Amino acid sequence: MRKRVSLWSWLLLPGTVWMSIFFITSLLLVTALSFGTTDDLGTPHFGNSLSNWAEVFAPVYRTVILRSLGYAFITAVLCLLIAYPVAYAIARHGGRWKNALIAAIVVPFFANYLVRMYGWAVVLSDEGPLLGLARKLGAPDDWRILHTGFGVIAGLVYGFVVFMILPLYAAMERMDSAVIEAGRDLYGGPLRTFLFVTVPATRQGALAGLVLVFLPAMGDFVSAQFLGGPDQIMIGNLIQSKFFDGQNWPLGSALTMLLMIVLLIAMAGYLRRARKDEQEAWQ
Amino acid sequence: MSMTRRSILGLGLAMATAGCSFAPTTPGGQPTPEDTTPPVTPKVDGDLVYFNWADYVDPEVFAAFEAEYKVKVIQSNFDSMESMVAKMNSGNAYDIIFPSAKWTQKLVAGGKLRKLDLKAMRHADAVYSGYSYFADPWYDAKSAHSVPFTMYKTGIGWRKDKLGELSGSWADLWNPAAKGSTFLLDDRDEVLGMIALKLGLPINTAEPGDLQKISAEIKGLRPSLRGFSSDDWGNLLNGSAHLTQAWSGDMVAILNEAEDASLYDFLEPKEGSPVNTDCYAIPMNAAHPGTAALFIDFMLRPENVVKNMTYIGYPMPVKGTESDYEALVEALPQCVVTVDDLKKDLMFQNGGTAAEQARDKAWTDAKAG
Repeated sequence: MRKRVSLWSWLLLPGTVWMSIFFITSLLLVTALSFGTTDDLGTPHFGNSLSNWAEVFAPVYRTVILRSLGYAFITAVLCLLIAYPVAYAIARHGGRWKNALIAAIVVPFFANYLVRMYGWAVVLSDEGPLLGLARKLGAPDDWRILHTGFGVIAGLVYGFVVFMILPLYAAMERMDSAVIEAGRDLYGGPLRTFLFVTVPATRQGALAGLVLVFLPAMGDFVSAQFLGGPDQIMIGNLIQSKFFDGQNWPLGSALTMLLMIVLLIAMAGYLRRARKDEQEAWQ
Repeated sequence: MSMTRRSILGLGLAMATAGCSFAPTTPGGQPTPEDTTPPVTPKVDGDLVYFNWADYVDPEVFAAFEAEYKVKVIQSNFDSMESMVAKMNSGNAYDIIFPSAKWTQKLVAGGKLRKLDLKAMRHADAVYSGYSYFADPWYDAKSAHSVPFTMYKTGIGWRKDKLGELSGSWADLWNPAAKGSTFLLDDRDEVLGMIALKLGLPINTAEPGDLQKISAEIKGLRPSLRGFSSDDWGNLLNGSAHLTQAWSGDMVAILNEAEDASLYDFLEPKEGSPVNTDCYAIPMNAAHPGTAALFIDFMLRPENVVKNMTYIGYPMPVKGTESDYEALVEALPQCVVTVDDLKKDLMFQNGGTAAEQARDKAWTDAKAG
């Protein structure tokens, strides 16, 4: 027994080393740099200046962070609403086509995210196919999708929905179909069985999916850049512009840290929930 | 044309460089050491490592250079001046780069550019004799480190069929008829500079009071803005822009590609058009500076200048090619940039770190507010 534990410990080593070098070290660098300064050529220097941290509390960043939280939240909820029936249909009724159907969902995501967003910009443009069709069906001429919040959220949902489908599918696939039969045997109607048996059994998958969608959506800047207008700028766009056009890596680092702190607070609820579930599972 | 592809490629590059390392050097502004390296003379000393905006040189010109000197051109592209410098700072060695006037000044001040032996370049005379301005430009004393490549100015591009004639001022961007189809360039200096011109302020101002007025002015325009985008000609062509801040050279792409070019026009506002020039320069750490100097000389041959002007749409300060450019923009003669346009108070300049950061803050406020 003792020997096995130490073997497993050794197997942790490659992952730990990898994470230490590429994640923790870069995180420490970003933290240190958030107190830094830049010279005239834009080269960042480490330092002990608090000015970047004073700067990130300007109202403009608060507005943009709140907007990003809103977009990410709506995106996560929409992804759940879209993905649940899809995952359910494939897991419960896919039969021998299950793997092919999952592949059909995953394969389009092999294409680069940037390229897909650029494609969306064409599809959603004023003269594009979608609005062309809508106008034929009687939509008013001034309807617009590109450069609106709706466009940005549509892009985010499309970009990340697969991260919701996969964990939900895994949870439903794992679920023993006997529990549904048991629910029906106990005189539960289809709706009651779904609400009191299927939903609780797949809650873990849904929670994992919400986190997997919410986190990248919150930090995304591509969708807002291609599909948004001046009122849809997200925190990712601002961080990116500090690092590049702004030539201000220290301020970009301070904003990155602020974003991480906001996300940690947002995730605290999820983590507590997950721990409680784990405790219940042990009892 | 170039500006568009700049913006598309931009993201990819931004993502690629996002993971890039930086070399933390000694803090503070250490004095630039005296440049003791000899000026670069043109001679083949290896393949050319070329670093520029995407699509900024006619591919035929590259092919001819490779064939004539039996060297390869190894291309890579940047999407902004900032990322160009970031890549250089992180230790990449390029043989030839194309900084704008402001950035040439910064790089010269930082000791990052080689001196050039202009006398050894056979075609440099067509630049300096025809355009004496460049013999001693403000951004590079005596043009010791740079040769001008293109010239451009910023104005307003618009759809005549939608808006009719404009009044001739930057205030035309506030035209209520273009509400919801107005764009500004996604470029800090261009936007702040445009508003400064409209308000009668210096275009490089970093005074807090001035910047506040400029921010307020942009916020007033926001409700009618569709976006900030450097894809000026793309937005005009696909119909989403009826009115946009635009670079003169990009209007040439519209003349070439629009089904009916007579629908479009370009305005050089009466308050003044910001002007700029992109330069050829050879970085201090270039491995093949001789080939780079040869390449500059090759690009300055009149036949290559005409090919490049036709390909990218921007005029070049080379004597004898003016009439070719005029023919190219016959429908929009306002796009011609002459040396008289290159006034110092209409060019973007450096104000030092504090001023640049104050301007960046005003820009963030205006853009994301």
